[in-house]
Amino acid sequence: MKKRGLLIIALAMLVLVTPLFAQGGKEAAASPTTLSIAIRTLTNPYQANYKVGADMLGKLEGLPVVTLTCEGSSEKQLNDVRALVAKTNGNVVFMIDPNESPNVIPLARELDAAGVYWVSWWNKPEDVKVWNYKNWVSHISFDGISAGEFTAETLFKSFGYEGKIIALQGLLSNSIAQDRFVGLQNILKKHPKVQMVAFEAADWDRTIAYEKTRNMLVAHPDIKGIWAANDNMALGALEALRAVGRAGQVLVTGVDGTTEIYEAIKKGEAAATVYNDSTYQAGIGLAIALAAKNGELDVAKMPKEQRQFFAEATNVDINNVDEIMKGASSYDFENLFASFSRPMN
Amino acid sequence: MKTKNSRRLENLFALRSKVSASIVGKLYHSIPISGQIISLGIVALIFSVGTNGQFLHISNIMTVLGLSAIPMILCLAVHQVIILGAMDLSLEGIVAITAVSAGLLLKNSVTANDVGLWIIPIVMLIGGLAGLVNGLLNTKLRMPSFISTLGMSWTLFGVAIMISKGSSIPLRDLRFQKVIISEFLGIPTVFILAILLGLVLYIMQNKTKLGKHMYAIGGNEILAKQAGVKVDRIKISIFGLTGMIYGLAGLLLVARLNSSAARYGNNLLFPAMTAVAVGGVSLSGGVGGALNAVIGTIIVVALNNGLVLMQINPYMQSAVNGIVLISAVALTIDRNKIGIIK
Repeated sequence: MKKRGLLIIALAMLVLVTPLFAQGGKEAAASPTTLSIAIRTLTNPYQANYKVGADMLGKLEGLPVVTLTCEGSSEKQLNDVRALVAKTNGNVVFMIDPNESPNVIPLARELDAAGVYWVSWWNKPEDVKVWNYKNWVSHISFDGISAGEFTAETLFKSFGYEGKIIALQGLLSNSIAQDRFVGLQNILKKHPKVQMVAFEAADWDRTIAYEKTRNMLVAHPDIKGIWAANDNMALGALEALRAVGRAGQVLVTGVDGTTEIYEAIKKGEAAATVYNDSTYQAGIGLAIALAAKNGELDVAKMPKEQRQFFAEATNVDINNVDEIMKGASSYDFENLFASFSRPMN
Repeated sequence: MKTKNSRRLENLFALRSKVSASIVGKLYHSIPISGQIISLGIVALIFSVGTNGQFLHISNIMTVLGLSAIPMILCLAVHQVIILGAMDLSLEGIVAITAVSAGLLLKNSVTANDVGLWIIPIVMLIGGLAGLVNGLLNTKLRMPSFISTLGMSWTLFGVAIMISKGSSIPLRDLRFQKVIISEFLGIPTVFILAILLGLVLYIMQNKTKLGKHMYAIGGNEILAKQAGVKVDRIKISIFGLTGMIYGLAGLLLVARLNSSAARYGNNLLFPAMTAVAVGGVSLSGGVGGALNAVIGTIIVVALNNGLVLMQINPYMQSAVNGIVLISAVALTIDRNKIGIIK
């Protein structure tokens, strides 16, 4: 009985001690900097392409890549980041798509304390400023206003800048929905002969977009185009047009860059979309953080507009849709701020 | 041997029927959905004035009927469970799983499958099985249907996300969409389908033993059991039938959008529930039927259509919708039939 107890204690000690040896062994060789992305999941194509971009930069620089997925848990995201910092002894840089915007605060504190450089995309509370943290290099988001402007301009061009349109907004309380709608309104001001006769909120949802469009078509059968704040709603509107026999005569536009909208653009049923290229997002985010780590970027001396900014996404219409569908074979990760569109205040 | 009390009760009933025997009252009570018809009339009147008659134009009426088909089928499904005095919140989950299954099994751009028309029995089978599980959880595990069906909804939605990898699946088989958007004698085919389903359920509810037992359970489950009604068996089969109808609606939804994704069913529970309440199906069970579900859905869809036609600002629509719904229910529910207000 006593013997067995001792055996168990010995085994437990072994289990506890083994990782220490493993860690020590790794440290002995001067290890290269790890590139890591902390994202939501790998199960949707948009998020999965983050990994493609990270791997691309890893290959280019000859550095190892680690992907952390939080599966919707902010707690897990923070813990995973913390664990990787400990494991690599701080020899790591991060590109993080924060699970929820408040999550950036503990992340920023944690990484500042560890001296680890990182770049974030999309989510950040407005009153949290990147320049208050010494290791948070940049926060980037795609520009909703310029996306709304491009799709509106392309849509209006399809009918010669004269006629009526209707519009579908995303969730009304959502800031990206508001930004894209501002873009549409900017272009409406530029072309006084184009009239927006009605707009409805369809909550980013394809089914609601279908129903709202069917109803709006009753009141306004003579429209020339439908502007939507995302591809999903644009595709719902397209099916509503098909139900009344007008698909292809009246074009739709969206934002996101989904395969379905590309096919509609090729068929001549949609005019444009804007592609948020997550492969580029991951690659450039890590490249910026790596430049800071290697001393190529002096974070303290960077202008504020490089610390927080909106980036221009890829505009897609009939002219480049085939090329976009093939996927870019290489990216420019050298020119760190090439996608700059406007500063984020 | 009649007690004094029961005799007094009988007198009371006799008095009440005398009161309601005035001519208008007689007409009002002879049609089971007269209150709902009046409120639909009020909605139509307001919107006709607000849109200069456009609301009552034949093309708009057909649009409303066409758009009401899928919510109507869902409402017809869920109201059956509500008649039993139970609740079914698994609608969105079952629609998600059947929609994704339909997307992956019909000719599509992701897999090599093409089951053609077999998809109809397949989605009904999947929906029916999910419904059976709902029924078993409620009767055999004795779980409140409110929470067990909510759990089922989340589970099935999760599975649907998993098998579709979170993305949408465009269809390559245009036949189903053609049927959905076609018309028969100027009436949307899909609406005719919904009405036929309503008719079948109406007959089942009013002319069969199963229907009588449903209402008995909804009225008082314990009494029904004592009177020899096979409560568990009926509950399980109604949950199963409801699931089958959800499956059918999932397929129609996919056919209409010519594409399938788990999230397409995400906003369907609320309109179906509102239609149940506005139509006058009592949430406490035992009151209302297929006719109520049909008229309730038409009111809800007409309301949304009218708000768009009148160009009510989207920032205000949700509030207007809520106010009108509360007023509609206040106008239409028959407080005599609903014993307790929960």
